[in-house]
Amino acid sequence: MNKIYGLQGAPLLSPEMKILELIETDPSLVSVFQRLNISLPFGDMSILQMCERDGYSCAMFLMLCNMHISPTYRVDATLLTRDMLPELVGYLRASHRYYIGHMLPHVARHLDDILSHCDNLSRSLFSRFYNEYMSFLGEHFREEESEIFAIVEGVENNLAMDIGRLEAPHGDIDDRTNDLASLVIKSLPEAVPTTLRCQMLKDIYALRDDLRVHSRIEMHLLRPLVEKFLKTEER
Amino acid sequence: MKRYRVAIVEPSAIVAEGVGVLLRASGDIDVIAAYATPAELQRLRAHDVDVVVASLAFVRDIDLLRLGGETPVVGIQSSLADVDTLRRFSAVVNLYSSDSELQQSIRDVVDAPVAEHSHSESHELSERERDVLVLVARGLTNKEIASELNISPHTVMSHRKNIAHKTGIRSVAGLTVYAVLNKLIDSE
Repeated sequence: MNKIYGLQGAPLLSPEMKILELIETDPSLVSVFQRLNISLPFGDMSILQMCERDGYSCAMFLMLCNMHISPTYRVDATLLTRDMLPELVGYLRASHRYYIGHMLPHVARHLDDILSHCDNLSRSLFSRFYNEYMSFLGEHFREEESEIFAIVEGVENNLAMDIGRLEAPHGDIDDRTNDLASLVIKSLPEAVPTTLRCQMLKDIYALRDDLRVHSRIEMHLLRPLVEKFLKTEER
Repeated sequence: MKRYRVAIVEPSAIVAEGVGVLLRASGDIDVIAAYATPAELQRLRAHDVDVVVASLAFVRDIDLLRLGGETPVVGIQSSLADVDTLRRFSAVVNLYSSDSELQQSIRDVVDAPVAEHSHSESHELSERERDVLVLVARGLTNKEIASELNISPHTVMSHRKNIAHKTGIRSVAGLTVYAVLNKLIDSE
């Protein structure tokens, strides 16, 4: 009998798995391909073959996919290598672009549809709330890129990383995203058609879940990598 | 340093031992007893412990776990649980919670002030909660709200917790939208 581990650290995916099987495991993983700009079609290609074709570390790709599909997945720190740092930061930057360029405008378009059914007061309040939410996220991403990613990418400068910086504002992001959903459920005028309201909720929860994965990747993949390979300090 | 006395009620010896080790490592939490069933808690008196940490499986014995009074109970979740079960516990941790989350849950349930209507299932805001919500929406800090309403900052925090629970909204920006749409404040 094979040794059976708990969920933590367990390999859920394997390099030999076909890309089709991988996506069938969790269709939300198509967004990982989108972020990494991996080109289709894959034919019968395995994960390993695709990574070799496109020059990605297969171990890192599997870690990212595991992070997406399992909230309890934790990496085995002994498998982390220094060259994973720039690759991971590249992925996190690509995720920021994916939020700013794709997910947030997608929600905004649905919000516009909804607000066309609302009175002036609701329209103005919801628009302002969403614009502030987008600004808040944009500012958070900019800070991460300048205060964390830049240090990771400039390792030769030997700057110390404030490790606590990785934890600080993620709870606020989750709160604001949940607030948006709560307001759509509780406070949008009755005139808004149910189909639009439900579509909007699906978009918001998809965004929230993806942001949670992003936060988990920073906490449970970037942080152990930084702790293993960079000089750190706790402010 | 303030110390917290905990009793563990958990049928799994592995989980009970693990929880005990993580709590003792905190430096300020003492595990004074560990039992496999809620019935064994009767050996203790209410003032012997500050918190009971218990498996969610014992939800039907919640009154026993509360030691017949208001002793807070932190639930240990090891499988899916319905919302009604989760609500009966003062806080819930799961098998993947970190050591600091587990330890902080103990401090939080002891240090949280008893809030007005805290056990009420009503989702209507009380008059006091509406007062606090209006001041939050106007941009006042907890300290300023406490001074304005002549209550302690701890009580303000407690009201804000209830407001978040009842409205599902936590951020100041979200509460402001809620307050205007529900005509608690003007849009100007």
